[in-house]
Amino acid sequence: MMDVLGLLAHGFTVAGTPQNLFYCLVGALCGTLIGVLPGLGPVATISLLLPATYALDPTGAIIMLAGIYYGAQYGGSTTAILMNIPGESTSVVTALDGHRMAQQGRAGEALAIAAIGSFFAGCVGSLVIALAGPPLAGIAQKFESPDYFSLMLLGLVSAVVLANGSVFRAIAMILLGLLLGLVGSDINSGLTRMTFGFLQLSDGVNFVAIAMGLFGVAEVVSNLETRGEKKGQIARIGSLWPSMKTLLATKWAVMRGTLMGIAFGILPGGGATVASFSAYALEKKIARDPSRFGNGAAEGVAAPEAANNAAAQTSFVPLLTLGIPTSATMALMIGALTLHGIAPGPMVLTRQPDLFWGLIASMFIGNLMLVVINLPMIGLWVKLLNIPYRMLFLVILVISGIGVYSVNNSVFDVYLTLAFGLLGYILRKLDAEPAPLLMGFVLGPPMEENIRRSLIISQGDFMVFLQRPISLTLLLAAAALLISVALPFIRKRRVEVFKDESAI
Amino acid sequence: MKVALGVLAGLSILASTGLASAQADWPRKPVTLVVPYAPGGYTDSVGRITARYLEKALGVSVVVENRAGAGGIIGTAYVAKAAPDGYTLCVCSVGATSVAPVAQKTDYDPMKDLLPISIVSTIPQTVIVGKSLPISNMTELIAYAKANPGKLNYGSSGAGGLMHYSVALFQVRTGTRMTHVPFKGGAPATAAVVSGEVQLSFTNMTDALPQMEADTVRAIAVTSVERSPFAPNLPTVAEAAKLENYSAESWNGIIAPAGTPEPVVKKISDALAKMVDDADAKKAMATAGATGVFTTPAEFKKRIGDELAQWAILVKEMKGGK
Repeated sequence: MMDVLGLLAHGFTVAGTPQNLFYCLVGALCGTLIGVLPGLGPVATISLLLPATYALDPTGAIIMLAGIYYGAQYGGSTTAILMNIPGESTSVVTALDGHRMAQQGRAGEALAIAAIGSFFAGCVGSLVIALAGPPLAGIAQKFESPDYFSLMLLGLVSAVVLANGSVFRAIAMILLGLLLGLVGSDINSGLTRMTFGFLQLSDGVNFVAIAMGLFGVAEVVSNLETRGEKKGQIARIGSLWPSMKTLLATKWAVMRGTLMGIAFGILPGGGATVASFSAYALEKKIARDPSRFGNGAAEGVAAPEAANNAAAQTSFVPLLTLGIPTSATMALMIGALTLHGIAPGPMVLTRQPDLFWGLIASMFIGNLMLVVINLPMIGLWVKLLNIPYRMLFLVILVISGIGVYSVNNSVFDVYLTLAFGLLGYILRKLDAEPAPLLMGFVLGPPMEENIRRSLIISQGDFMVFLQRPISLTLLLAAAALLISVALPFIRKRRVEVFKDESAI
Repeated sequence: MKVALGVLAGLSILASTGLASAQADWPRKPVTLVVPYAPGGYTDSVGRITARYLEKALGVSVVVENRAGAGGIIGTAYVAKAAPDGYTLCVCSVGATSVAPVAQKTDYDPMKDLLPISIVSTIPQTVIVGKSLPISNMTELIAYAKANPGKLNYGSSGAGGLMHYSVALFQVRTGTRMTHVPFKGGAPATAAVVSGEVQLSFTNMTDALPQMEADTVRAIAVTSVERSPFAPNLPTVAEAAKLENYSAESWNGIIAPAGTPEPVVKKISDALAKMVDDADAKKAMATAGATGVFTTPAEFKKRIGDELAQWAILVKEMKGGK
């Protein structure tokens, strides 16, 4: 415990440099901005900004990207409360009671509760990373190739189980992602495969091109199609200070929401959206008078807002300690770290202590910044909704074109981005989520690498996956998840609740 | 018609004098230094250190341009095809220059299409073995490998890389057989020796040094021709295993497109000769884990030729052996 405090203090010196404070602020501002704007989610934004982080040092880059993710959780609630337009899928449930409160003239109160709940949850969530990170990384250091393979398999299974909509489509998307991950060089022979003679593909398909195409470009295109009709009434904000009575009444809701968020953030396949839905459902279930929900119950704002922010923080735990992404956003973080030559996993903690502890410390700072950014400046953010989208989208497309080119100075990658933009658009039309595709693409290559390495070392004996206790446990967990999705009860809940955060 | 011809003739004279003066007063505009790897890596650091020094020495800006891909082949091919005017140079590395042309197909011939100017840095490989193995020198390693054919697993940074080929060459020369386990990069291969997943690796000294200091692996030799200043007590493979001429060393060098004018090459070469003694550059290289080196263009070319020959024989034997 003392150790952790000491390391955390070191983290604050890293995060507290003017440079990193600046990146943290930029991230928080960007996050709030895209949180406020419906149609632009953190996944798209982070994929657009990936190339820009190339010029930063890895710590600054990840601090900024993380700021965008949790910043969006704050910003998303603003428009949900004031206009009944959730800026993010994580704020969908916030709108239910938050907007009712606004209509009752309690908009300021709702905004303040959302911000305070988010702040509390964010701080607790960061603390959880600090405390849970090192022991988890310690376990992960005992991992050998078979264990990694089983871990990746578990990650893919959870991606299927927790994906939005049809299981069939989720599996199809993962397979497509795995296939795309096969393009490049065969690790054991060094020969290229599925490159169609393009030398540019011999290192595999560029991750930035895929992410930007599928999420950035495709999102712009499909938004152009539907944009324009959503203009709501903006509620009057009123007093920003909730009464002591309301604050006390929401105290336990914030606590419960925080706990839900922490749990869902750490679980593979969970994430902030699931957490906020579940937290709302829980509040409604245990309330003495459930009929208050949907009619302006403060708990209905406090719990999901706390949950989505806590989950946004703790989803970094599996990423930084095990190296597996729990959502599309985290898959992008892996991409960002890999661009900087850092392999996410247990080694981050020992090799890059500055990055690990700096990131955690920056989360405390960032959460504080967000409260400041969000409460007094709320009027400004609301005005942003008047920006014409056609201008915004033009800027986004140009920036992404320049961005993807600058990674490798390669025009080929720009064409790739366009092609994946088209693919992403088609997938959207087919109601197929691109998020599992990205998970497949990110997890596929290390999965192949580890299964082949395991088999080289075991001389072709598949039993190696069952003989190692860690590997066996993970495989059993994957099997249990698969069985659970087949059970009718969970299937029903899944349809109700699960929407990946990229589904905006 | 005559007027046109006259203009043409005039233009060509102008052009040729222009070319001559372009050589004499090179450099007159910024020079591009292509790094055929991603930013943040080892070659990138060496490239940026060199660019910073050349900027000072030449008085023009030297722009680093990363053109990563295919293990350095894409960037190297780009420079091989660039105009040979001294404004496009490459921080090439051993993989794409000496190994890839014989191990796989490249659309450049390093002896014909590239003009080597000077090696700027080298890193030897270190032979590390797991602590649990009863092996503490090269003789014991050879004996153990011979007694247990195929039982020892060695980790590499990937198939066809220097970490793979240096062991393959070692096996051919010593008549041993070990199992190749490719990783993605040298760092995870080194970590696997620490964890015991593989038993040994011929790994880059930059990855090996921290583990040697932490005493998590046993280092028994270096693969360079001479001992390394970073670990002077380690013998070379050549002396410890009695393998004459055995050498596998990672280098980065400045290479221009073939046909670059002699005066330009001399200017760059002269600048690089001074860089090796420059205190700032030396310090920066050491921080990156490299040793600053200078070679003449002729020495550099001979070295690439020797390496190509060494790996060509190996590739032939590996293909024939299968």
